[in-house]
Amino acid sequence: MADAAAPLLRIKGMSKTFPGLKALDGVSLEVYPGEVVAVLGHNGSGKSTLVKVLAGVHQADPGTVVEVRGAKGELVAGPAVRDGLHFIHQDLGLADILTTVENLGLGTWVPGRALAPVRSAAERRHAQHLVARFGGGVDVTVPVGKLTPAQRTIVAIARALDGWTRPDNVLVLDEPTAALHGDEVQVLFEAIRRVASSGAGVVFISHRLDEVLELADRVVVLRDGRVVAEQATSRLDHDTIVRLIAGREIAETVVTSVDELGDPVLTVAGISGAEISDFSLSLRAGEIVGVAGILGSGREQLAPMLFGAQHRSGGRVEVDGNELIPDDPRAAIEHGMAYVPADRRRSGVVTEMNVRENLTLPLMRPLRRRFGRLDRQAEQAQTRAWIQTVGLRPPDPEQPLKLLSGGNQQKVVLAKWLRIRPRVLLLDEPTQGVDVGAQAALHELILAARHDGTGVLLCSSDTKELVSLCDRVLVLKEGRTAGEVPRESLTEARLVRDELGLQGATGPIGTSGRE
Amino acid sequence: MRTTEGVMTPGQASGGSVPDAVHRVHWSVGLRRTVAFRNVSALYLLVVMVVVFGLWVPGTFLTSGTWRSLLSDQAVTCLVAVGLVVPTAAGVIDLAIGAEVGLGAILVARLLVGHVPIPVAIVLSVVAGAAVGVFSWLMITRARIPSFIATLAVSSLLAAATAWVSGSQQILNLPAGFGKLGTGQLFGVTYPVYILLAVAVFLWYVLERTPAGRRIYATGGNPQAAALAGVRTSRVLLFALVTSGAVAGLGGLLLTSQLSTGDPTVGPGYLLPVIAAVFLGSTQFRGGRFNIWGTVVAAYTLAVGVKGLQLAGLPIWIPDLFNGTALLAAVGLAAWRRSPAARRNGLTRFGRRRPVIQEPAEAGRGLRDPLQSVPDSKSI
Repeated sequence: MADAAAPLLRIKGMSKTFPGLKALDGVSLEVYPGEVVAVLGHNGSGKSTLVKVLAGVHQADPGTVVEVRGAKGELVAGPAVRDGLHFIHQDLGLADILTTVENLGLGTWVPGRALAPVRSAAERRHAQHLVARFGGGVDVTVPVGKLTPAQRTIVAIARALDGWTRPDNVLVLDEPTAALHGDEVQVLFEAIRRVASSGAGVVFISHRLDEVLELADRVVVLRDGRVVAEQATSRLDHDTIVRLIAGREIAETVVTSVDELGDPVLTVAGISGAEISDFSLSLRAGEIVGVAGILGSGREQLAPMLFGAQHRSGGRVEVDGNELIPDDPRAAIEHGMAYVPADRRRSGVVTEMNVRENLTLPLMRPLRRRFGRLDRQAEQAQTRAWIQTVGLRPPDPEQPLKLLSGGNQQKVVLAKWLRIRPRVLLLDEPTQGVDVGAQAALHELILAARHDGTGVLLCSSDTKELVSLCDRVLVLKEGRTAGEVPRESLTEARLVRDELGLQGATGPIGTSGRE
Repeated sequence: MRTTEGVMTPGQASGGSVPDAVHRVHWSVGLRRTVAFRNVSALYLLVVMVVVFGLWVPGTFLTSGTWRSLLSDQAVTCLVAVGLVVPTAAGVIDLAIGAEVGLGAILVARLLVGHVPIPVAIVLSVVAGAAVGVFSWLMITRARIPSFIATLAVSSLLAAATAWVSGSQQILNLPAGFGKLGTGQLFGVTYPVYILLAVAVFLWYVLERTPAGRRIYATGGNPQAAALAGVRTSRVLLFALVTSGAVAGLGGLLLTSQLSTGDPTVGPGYLLPVIAAVFLGSTQFRGGRFNIWGTVVAAYTLAVGVKGLQLAGLPIWIPDLFNGTALLAAVGLAAWRRSPAARRNGLTRFGRRRPVIQEPAEAGRGLRDPLQSVPDSKSI
């Protein structure tokens, strides 16, 4: 930090071309010590590509210049450049079968010690100490795959901040808060601020604009692989940023509540299971019921349990009066239940298969012809129609899912379930890690489904989403319904208070407190 | 129960369909892609080998007798490989496939010398292969043993069973009529080739043209997502393992018919060429997906290589060398195609620090055990 004016990270004219797609087109960016720079943009605007190029996962096109602390270098090979960059990726980059202790050890390479015995007790204490800094509660000796998404994020953050030998590094966070709840976000922000104030540069990527306004010093907006705006955060507000990202005005989703609700489509009576005890619910046709709750409240388990993806015991779950057997997703689908899981990569899509194959997977019976043949033409036609309905980019039915951005993958997931005309639609964090444009599109689809008489159960940690969509919200606490907030008194502040079990508003709680 | 009318057709609401021009590529582009080296490398390899061996040993390699015997001799290998495509596509590795061939071979001989009628012996051998598939399935889904280990163990059990049934002796003096099945000819080609074609066409149809095939590929691609989309992945695996077991049993009895001897030692030798054919086949035609016709082409390409080397009078260990090299090259090629990072950095990356992030969906495809990643396999 000899020269405060010298940028820690300087990117000049960075381009990245994939076959048939220019993901980055001459992006320039500088990060100075002590600064938090937010990079914003649609899904597919090039944010993730930028991070992956910096991490050496993708190689930039020739002509790109990247300097860290003034040292030029090739990103893959040059340790001088690499040592200054630390990453937290969107998919966290954790090895699921290894424990937290082991995952923390993976990033640090001690020459000549590859075969030396692992010093387990010391490592475990070290891991516990690191994780505790970011809100703890994580058993560092269980495989990371068994942790919740929020706990995994905490582990990834702990790893990225582990073992810095000098303070002037660049920390790159690609949507770190996607799985976090308000108070956990605050813990993370606290850590980021501490890192920045000690002289590091931070590149922060997020879809949650409120967070960006709160944390970042400077905002860089990408659209179609180019930098379209660069501004100090103090000169921006929410609406301006939305306009910059979208390149046009996005109409805020206007909820038109259905006046007359139909008959109950989903009746749940006294079910129990992991983290849930004695839960009951009645969901009517055309109704959107939200489920709020902090981590560990049972919110994450509720939808998979109803669907049969997680074990439940006792009680009854009925769709249109038909009782569902536990642990059988197929039976749930047959009775008209659909489930959009929170973990899209793991449970939502088959990434090797294309859009058409993913779309029709839950219900192929109507496409069956003689001798069990699948009618490819009918399938194509349906896929194209759905692609248009959900506004998929690119509009290609044969595109493998692994080549789509997160928001577009989610559109495929929602389309595949809307296609079966579900009676009950269970949504688990449906817009997590999705840009504002895609989020609005997904919300429109959810509202359209409700108008067609689908009962929607929306489990979300995004209180803004709950407030803008739901007719009423159930607040879970310790596996039980702690309260119900009707539409009239639904505000983000109220939800956050209820989730945490606070009496009245006492000071700032989470980012979502602002209305 | 949902019915046909239950499917929403949003096209009506949004008015008209997307113009076709967006989705159709020009035919010449399509043709260029189809004949590109990366799509049909085995065919190019085949052509190269034909030319090389044609120049090297023209007297023996380029005779119709060589080619006809190649077609017939390799029908069993190819048949077993085609059967193995199904479980491999569903994400399980059946390492017992060679031992299943051996069991079918010895069982049919034992039954025939015990005066069981020929058709009954044939059916029983095929059923025995299928039963082994059921057993492997139980071990994988119910005992939750990774398929890799489970089928390796089953392979050992079958080796024991084969030795026990045969007393580790060849079984001779099979009824004359039985030999017809493996050696009888139609239009100059032996029956096993037609059986191979029939099985291949059937399995191609199932995999590529039916909902069942879609479910098999989905299970192999992401078992958890497949289960949550209503695919009963456990049933898919049962079908896959029963298919490969039954086809292996069929292959074994055809082999015994061709040799007119029940030989307890033939089975294990099939494991490597068959797996090599399936994996090399996955690099052909379908962009990395395990598929039937790619496997057929790959099986015969490998066989032509081995045959040419034999005719050229090279030592007896050359075929093993060739098959092993081909398997490594095939799987390496598949990984190469799948990961741009691997293509770019080549060998150098192994000496350097790895990128922090790995593409989870890409790693170890095909060798993953579907049930390991499902939280509760009772639910599938």
